[in-house]
Amino acid sequence: MKRAIPVLVLSAAGLVPVWLFEPGAEEPLTDVAAPVTEAPAQTQAQTQTQAGTPQAANKTVKGKLIKTSEGDVQVQAVFQGTKITDIQVVTAPNTAPTKKALPLLKQSALQAQSAKIDTVSGATATSGGYKQSLQSAIDQAQ
Amino acid sequence: MNRVEHIMGLPISVDLRDGDPSLVDEAFEWLREADARFSPFKSDSEVSRLGRGELSPDELTPDLVEVLDLCAWYEEATGGAFKLCLPGRGLDPCAVVKGWAVERAGEVLLGGGARNFCLNAGGDVFAAGEPTPGKPWRVGVRHPEDADKLCVVLAVRDGSVATSAFYERGEHIIDGRTGEPARGLLSLTVYAPDLTTADATATAAFAMGLEGVEWAAAQENCEVFAVTSDRRVMQTAGLPVEVC
Repeated sequence: MKRAIPVLVLSAAGLVPVWLFEPGAEEPLTDVAAPVTEAPAQTQAQTQTQAGTPQAANKTVKGKLIKTSEGDVQVQAVFQGTKITDIQVVTAPNTAPTKKALPLLKQSALQAQSAKIDTVSGATATSGGYKQSLQSAIDQAQ
Repeated sequence: MNRVEHIMGLPISVDLRDGDPSLVDEAFEWLREADARFSPFKSDSEVSRLGRGELSPDELTPDLVEVLDLCAWYEEATGGAFKLCLPGRGLDPCAVVKGWAVERAGEVLLGGGARNFCLNAGGDVFAAGEPTPGKPWRVGVRHPEDADKLCVVLAVRDGSVATSAFYERGEHIIDGRTGEPARGLLSLTVYAPDLTTADATATAAFAMGLEGVEWAAAQENCEVFAVTSDRRVMQTAGLPVEVC
């Protein structure tokens, strides 16, 4: 596991040019990284287990925090045994290029809901299918 | 005022909350023109004529060049998953034209002074301003398996939302790399500042399948909500989700 730290440091260092590249307009990153930062390694491992493969032997190791002119960078690796299965961003500078270099996707279960809405986005509704659609009901209500 | 017309085979709704109602006529006029010029289903459209080799490069209108450039960009960016010409089909820039044409219709309304309106073209949404002061447009995203339900509601002010999915018209999005219907996703929604980007990104990403989710999330100014075939939701952190 000790070998993991240099790997992580190298990973983070490797990402630095990505952040330095094309610094664009400020864009809030929202709270993507924050929950991960505080999560103890074990909780993180359990989350991974639930979301992905049903393996119990996951371990998460944080890399060293690296300071760059754009802000602090820190990544962590998820291990399954001795194999790295995922690299996650713990801390990233709050700039648009960062976010675009590393899309962070939250996962959840599909839910069905009803709510008062102004309009509906869906894949191309044909004119034929429109009559029965939610959008048709909204249009008629006005 | 609220009006619905059927153009390009799609129901197009305009919900105008301020400005001159005659702007809506102008917007619909443009959409009919776009249909006449860019539909691959009309034999005398610019697209059909180009497809038959009847137009030389210097005869292309700037609008058509813009559409073709957009198609070429997405084809390149998706490694060919998004294709302008599929085997067995003629030149078909539909996937880009719809969002692009509706974006332009929105610009017609904005140019005429309207500030608060919502355009919906077959599920592609261009929202400007607010429906009532202090409130965002509430844009529901259709549940991929239940037409009467939503899977998320977005709060939108001056933004666009487009969704690609399997549920209408059967499996109509083809992965250009394999020639087979795109797989891996039930639906993919993109929120972007403009509808041209939202629509093309959603279509292109859907064609890529699962890997399209990260690809779309990495596109500039795009937020993503995707439902995978195994009913998991993947969404970017910046998506403006309305808490119901």
